[in-house]
Amino acid sequence: MVFRDRLLATIRAARPVLEAEGVVVVGSEVPNLLEPDAAATLVVSQDLDLGVLVEHHAAVKARLPELRDFEPSADEPSVWTPRSPELLELNFLGMDPKQEPDDAYVFDDDRLPLLVFGALSLISAGDELRIAEVRVRLPRPAGVLLEKLITDRTGEKGERDLLVALGLLTVADPADLADLERAYGRLRPELQHTVRSSLTILSLLAPRAGMPDPRPRREDVAALLRRLEAAEVDR
Amino acid sequence: MNAVFERRLRRMRARMLVRQWNYKQLRHSRGSWFRLRRALAHAREAFAISADAAQQLLAEGHRVEPVGAELAPPKRIVLVSSARVARIASARPLTVSLNAELLAAECLALVPFVEDSIHVGRQREG
Repeated sequence: MVFRDRLLATIRAARPVLEAEGVVVVGSEVPNLLEPDAAATLVVSQDLDLGVLVEHHAAVKARLPELRDFEPSADEPSVWTPRSPELLELNFLGMDPKQEPDDAYVFDDDRLPLLVFGALSLISAGDELRIAEVRVRLPRPAGVLLEKLITDRTGEKGERDLLVALGLLTVADPADLADLERAYGRLRPELQHTVRSSLTILSLLAPRAGMPDPRPRREDVAALLRRLEAAEVDR
Repeated sequence: MNAVFERRLRRMRARMLVRQWNYKQLRHSRGSWFRLRRALAHAREAFAISADAAQQLLAEGHRVEPVGAELAPPKRIVLVSSARVARIASARPLTVSLNAELLAAECLALVPFVEDSIHVGRQREG
């Protein structure tokens, strides 16, 4: 089964929560779904990350019994594993727009506890697309790009995050980059530095299977770095 | 609180503390890796060159990346145009990454994506 088919089958199976108010697709599937016709050629991953606005937690929780093709993971409290190998895992993440980007807290709940990541507060809802007959709310690319660049994880996870950011850069248009620059301007200097530092790491990464190849996109990364550095000088 | 979440929160907060500390140290040696990566990120190509070639480039007024002097042993990192580097017999192309070969080179020539700051005191290479 090709990856896109798995992703679309997962979206179909996750319809009850995807169509709930306050749910936004975040994470590595965003660049795939922002490609024309949700081509899903950029990133291969094992899960679909669903951002849940904490104010809508109760409504999303109420939809969980309808998720018949998934069950709660025994190990990971916010992960629902598929009953079929032809589906991806669902990973629920908390989003709280009032949160500081470098903070995190736990939204405790017996059925759907959430780790609320401050970096996700940079994400704002974008277009609602109809994918595989399901209404899917996608985020604006700039917020996800920035979130990936400030997450500051190390090792394989960190590199994958940066390559997802590259995937987003690939599908971003000039308006998205202007959006990114504005959001960057609102960050504290320490986080702005983290963004620029992440871009330098991204520029020097080796290619990885199932992820965008950074080598032919180095010039785009350098251009974004230059743009953000110029924004620093202008302030 | 769930133990998995608790562990993850603890790790995340530890990373944030390290990040804050690194940021405070940015102007000191802790920031050297960032400055080296930044110099490389702005470079389209990198070449290992001989000390004589580096000296010649400096004499011609090519700009030096100051981060080279922060490393131990120090490196001479010189910004050049692709046209100029093509005339350096000793120039050996390197992959632009933090690889062993690049880190071992004593003298590097970097060709920036934007070649308007290659010479000291000049906007554009003539």
